[in-house]
Amino acid sequence: MSDYSVEANGLTKYFGDYKAVDAVSLAVPSGSIYGVLGPNGAGKTTSLRMTLGIIDPDEGTSRLLGGLRPQSVRARIGYLPEERGLYPGMKAREAIAFMGALRGLDWREGRRRAATFMSELGLERVIDEKIRKMSKGMAQMIQLIGSIVHAPDLIVLDEPFSGLDPVNQERLEMLVRRERDRGATILFSTHVMAHAERLCDRIAIIARSQRRFEGTVDEARALLPMQVRYIPRDRGDPAAVAANLPSGAELRGDAWHFTIEDGDVEPLLARITASGHGVTGLSISRPALHDAFVHIVRQVDAGFVADEARDAVEEASA
Amino acid sequence: MTPFIRNMFVVARRDFLAIVATPTFLLFLLAPLFMVGMGLAGGMGASQLADKARGAGRIVVIADPADIEALRDADHRLRDALTGPDAPPLLAFRVAGPARIDPAAITREKGSDTYAVMSGPLENPHIVERNADGKSGRYLTLLAGQVLRDRAAGPVAPVKPHFESLQNGGASIAAQQSIGFGAIFIIFLLTLLLAGQTVSSLAEEKGNKVIEILAAAVPLESVFLGKLLGMLGVAVLFIAFWLAVAFGGGLVAATQIDPAALDAAGKAGKAATALASMPATGWPFFLGIGLLYFIMAFLLLGAVFLGVGAQAGSVREIQMLSLPITIFQVGMFSLSAAAASAPGSGLAHFAQIFPFSSPLAMAARAATDDAKAVHLLALGWQAIWVALVVWVSVRLFRAGVLSGGSGWKFWSRKKSSALSSPRT
Repeated sequence: MSDYSVEANGLTKYFGDYKAVDAVSLAVPSGSIYGVLGPNGAGKTTSLRMTLGIIDPDEGTSRLLGGLRPQSVRARIGYLPEERGLYPGMKAREAIAFMGALRGLDWREGRRRAATFMSELGLERVIDEKIRKMSKGMAQMIQLIGSIVHAPDLIVLDEPFSGLDPVNQERLEMLVRRERDRGATILFSTHVMAHAERLCDRIAIIARSQRRFEGTVDEARALLPMQVRYIPRDRGDPAAVAANLPSGAELRGDAWHFTIEDGDVEPLLARITASGHGVTGLSISRPALHDAFVHIVRQVDAGFVADEARDAVEEASA
Repeated sequence: MTPFIRNMFVVARRDFLAIVATPTFLLFLLAPLFMVGMGLAGGMGASQLADKARGAGRIVVIADPADIEALRDADHRLRDALTGPDAPPLLAFRVAGPARIDPAAITREKGSDTYAVMSGPLENPHIVERNADGKSGRYLTLLAGQVLRDRAAGPVAPVKPHFESLQNGGASIAAQQSIGFGAIFIIFLLTLLLAGQTVSSLAEEKGNKVIEILAAAVPLESVFLGKLLGMLGVAVLFIAFWLAVAFGGGLVAATQIDPAALDAAGKAGKAATALASMPATGWPFFLGIGLLYFIMAFLLLGAVFLGVGAQAGSVREIQMLSLPITIFQVGMFSLSAAAASAPGSGLAHFAQIFPFSSPLAMAARAATDDAKAVHLLALGWQAIWVALVVWVSVRLFRAGVLSGGSGWKFWSRKKSSALSSPRT
């Protein structure tokens, strides 16, 4: 078995003159949960579609599960597209069995597994309900079950959490972990950082059509300095307190806010102790993935705006 | 079973059940009843009108009583030989009296159409016609001439002919061509009614976004062929239903017929002989190959319609495609019908080779030509074209619709649905 379930290299896609995806590469370790993060319109869905061979890239290649082409390993893949699609006239159990049958699962076995999955997720009451009678979230859960009913080795979920209520989001997270524990590799896209933070072993951040970051969640968070909130016991002279804090410290109410790098924690504690201003409250925390994501996207946007401005100036001078 | 074929049957099964297991299918199944009912009503009305028109027309002779008798006798004899559309209108008489009867006034009388009025001496009659050079005037001239010839020749013994009908004389070319044309018409009608539906077959998947699931899970060729198979299954079910109804109706009708008459017909063996000798290849082969050609016609035209319909971005576009599709089908029918009327001609060969008219033209050929091996060749040729059309349709669909217009554009792919918008 290959170390990587997904090996996409230099995927590029144009829609007319617009470069929707620009040389995106993904390497998803087997047995991991991998998140593709990015703002709306970044190129996540198109990247996933090219990775799966649903649409052909203009440049680049994709290998799944060690196969030469994505099409050669279709039966071992489960896919939940961003735009949910089910036949409204089908009953839930049949819809799941149908999706399993498309991937080579026997109809009867598909129906049996559908019943098992649905009862585990508390959906047994709608097992013979037609899709058109279900709520959007419920239909989404049916489709999710349909994409994993054949026990695939690779599960690709495009924005799986959108449209789900918190209870179903919790169920979905549970399902994702269970599938990973079974041995499957999970690749999913999202722009909701909380899910990625809780689930992902590794992430890629795509912005403005390009991959801007690849690594673990901790590595992403480490892109930003740690955040400190300090409330001194002696609040008499702010200037005296500030003199012992890093430059850029800001007083908001009773608390000072500032950032420090990884190796600066102990020196900071020593300085505060030595200053004699005392400590009423002190919190040192890593930034959330959300902050790292916003930081990266803003940097990209700023660069993009600068590039645009430079191009405009060059064009005007020419 | 290979994964490709298995996938094809999964899609076909879904489509077949999605169509058949709905109340609207009953309406679809019974639709021919409405068509037959309307046809019968229209036909009866037209027939009544025609009968009425035939009965209402007349030709009139103004003559002496002696001439009237001679003319009536001649009319009886001539009318026997002039039947069908050549039959002259009813002949009416007016006795010529001292007062002059105006022929033009007779033509204006209400209650019936008067096509011609003859008056004056038979040697030199005056004929007033509604239409110049009409058949009615010439018939009246013929009548006058016949009476004059009878009078000149004197009484003649009536001819007593002995008729002998030719039995087991083999099928006539005209009858075989008629059967061939019948096969073309039936296959055309069935494909017109049933294959055209494939044009909107992918609309459901594009509308509810299932197409992306299908495209990710199975080769699109499986999807297209599966859809064709599913629709073919519906068509075959439709035909089987009506064949069963016809067979059942025939059985019921047979129980109502006098057994003695049936027995007599069986002993005479006329029907059986006629049935066995009509198409050049024989009825069993002809019916079997006809069914196969219907399947190929359905698959070929269905594949074209499916491919074209898959490019449509909206229901309105699909509706707009219906007219050219119907015209295309009628074109293939006309080509095949023309070919059937000239077996062995260059046109016939062209129609038999041209893939989209080939099933129709080859079915007609089976009625007039007893060669059987050529049909195997034709079926293979048509199957290759089904595969080719599906292959091209899938490429166009993938390049034009799935890839958001970076490939081939049907007209303006940016407005189409499915995955065409640059979702990112």
